[in-house]
Order: sequence, then structure tokens, then C-alpha cells
Amino acid sequence: MNANAGVPGVNRSRERVLDWFSRTAPLVVWSEMDSPLGPLYLARSEAGLCRLAIGVTEDNFRARLPARAKSSRNPDALREAQEQLFAYFDGCQVRFCLPVDLGEMTCFQQGVLRQACAIPAGELRSYGDIARDMGSPRASRAVGQALGRNPVPIVVPCHRVVGSDGRLTGYSGARGIESKRWLLRLEGAPVKEVPGE
Amino acid sequence: MRFEALIELHHDELYHYLRRMTAGSTCDAADLTQETWLRAWGAFDRLRPNSNARAWLYRIATNCALSASRSGRREIPLQEDQDVPDEARTPLEQLEHGEELALVLEKVGALPPRQRAAVLLRYGQELRYSELACVMRCSEANARANVSLGVRRLRRELEVT
Repeated sequence: MNANAGVPGVNRSRERVLDWFSRTAPLVVWSEMDSPLGPLYLARSEAGLCRLAIGVTEDNFRARLPARAKSSRNPDALREAQEQLFAYFDGCQVRFCLPVDLGEMTCFQQGVLRQACAIPAGELRSYGDIARDMGSPRASRAVGQALGRNPVPIVVPCHRVVGSDGRLTGYSGARGIESKRWLLRLEGAPVKEVPGE
Repeated sequence: MRFEALIELHHDELYHYLRRMTAGSTCDAADLTQETWLRAWGAFDRLRPNSNARAWLYRIATNCALSASRSGRREIPLQEDQDVPDEARTPLEQLEHGEELALVLEKVGALPPRQRAAVLLRYGQELRYSELACVMRCSEANARANVSLGVRRLRRELEVT
């Protein structure tokens, strides 16, 4: 006897497509946690942490997960990342020890983010410094764009990059510049108060 | 747009469309639905952000159905699945269990493939003419003409019956 007898054709078809999709699509697991900057969502692929977002809704976060991935909520799979982030927000000098998946970025963008990872907590670099270190001294704007596309802020500390005059420019996470200043103060960085920021 | 979300949003309507395009053969509709998603997966990188993903999927589904029709895949009259309480989605689906509509669908199934696609997309799936043109890779005027020819032919067929 057919086990599917009586099951509407559309349901059978949906199950078949979803089964194929589960076997085909890369898996991304995600979870959420509280942070002093608001609810924080994070996701990891097989290669490592691939998304971190603060100040977004769950729907918005899930809509920004890698386009081909099958997503599944799994707090256990992100426990280690959460513990390191909790320690960081508690003010501990954490050097994040997490694999990061930057596979969707270009080589140049990955290079910029690696440069940002090399900035110690409590220190700042300018966009121009990073461009020079990349061997492209005139590429400050491209550096800014690459940092703006950082899929895992905080873990890749793009907030430690500021304008050449110390001005805190550009931060898309949570409450923007205000959050950038909050993170830098948490790390004990010398944050300038510049009127008009 | 994420692929997973496309499946959640559009699987069922594509299945229903393909079921009518194949004049009700459950087997063919499921195969064509699967083929549609396989092709969509292969072409997904070419789907531009903010483009009309629904129309893009219907284009792929229509191409699958038209190639199946050209290759002479078996088509059987609408019978299977008729008493199955699938979720009603469009006005056409809500009426589908009625005998009169079954007759209309039978006649729709007998239309030439492009007219059949045009009529089903416009009145079954409620696509706009601009979307229809995008799906059928033709001008909006040509899309209207296909719908109009299909409807005229249906009227003629139903009057004779």
C-alpha cells in the first residue's frame, strides 16, 4: 500500500523539495543572546562565524543569512561564541578565538578585515593606516566600504578603525556611532570627543 | 532574497500552477515542481537583488512545463487530486471542485501551451501583465494577446459543449 495515499499532492511535493533542499544547501545555524547594546544575533556556517548583528529583528537577521543556506536555530552550536561575547561585554580583555567565515567577501575586503583583527583592544587605527598597510595608500574609501560590510562586527573589530583626525565615522551596528563609542570605551581606547560627530 | 524563503513562499502556488499546466497529472506536476527548483538553484546567482523573484520562478516553471509539453510528456485529464482538500489560495482554486470549473480546466488544459500558460498565469496565479511578459519573455502586448486568444478559444469551446 502506498504510504502517501491520501496525502495531498502539494504536501508530498513540498516534502520532496524540502528534503532535496536539506541535502543540497549548506547549513547555517543561528542563535540570539542579550547584550548591553540590545539583542544580539549570531550565525555560523561550517567554516565559522558568518553573521553577527545587534539592533535588528529576528526576521531581519534571518533575511540577511547567506542566500543559499538552510537555516536552523541552534543555541548549542553557538555556545562557545556566546561565552566569549559575554566575557567581552563584562569588560574582560578577550581576544576572540573563533573561526570566522568571510567567504562572501572579496580578497581585498578579507585583507582589510584581517588588518582590523590585528588591532589590539584599546588601540585605534585610521582608514588611511589600513590602506597603507594593505599596500594601497589611496584606497581609504575602499577600506571604509570593506569595514562597512563586515559580517561579524565586534569579533572582527572594525570599530577600532576611525577617521585620520580621530573622528568616529561610520558604524552600522546597533545604534551606529553611539555603539562604536561605547565599544571603544569598554576596551579603554582613547576616544576623542569631536563636536558634530 | 534567500532560497529557503522562496521555497516557503512559492512552492505551493508553483505546484498548483504546474498541476494545471500538465492538466492535472499529479506525477508530472511534482516532477516539474522539483525540476523548477533544481533549475532555480542552478540559476540563483543570476537573480538580481530586488528583482521580481516570483515572476522569475514562474518563468522557470513555465519553461519546464513548455519543454515537457514539447517532448510529449504524458498529459492526462484533471481527475487526480480533485477531491483532495488542498489549501485554497486563489479564487480559481476555491472554485476548483465545482463541475463547471473542472470542465473549464479541462478546456484550459487543451489550449496550445503558450496560451494555456498565459491564461493560467493571469487568471489562476493572478500575475499582472507586466509580470506575465517577464515570465513569457515577450512584450506586454504579446502577453495580452496570448491571454485574449486563449480566453476567446475557451469561450468558443465552452459554447459548443
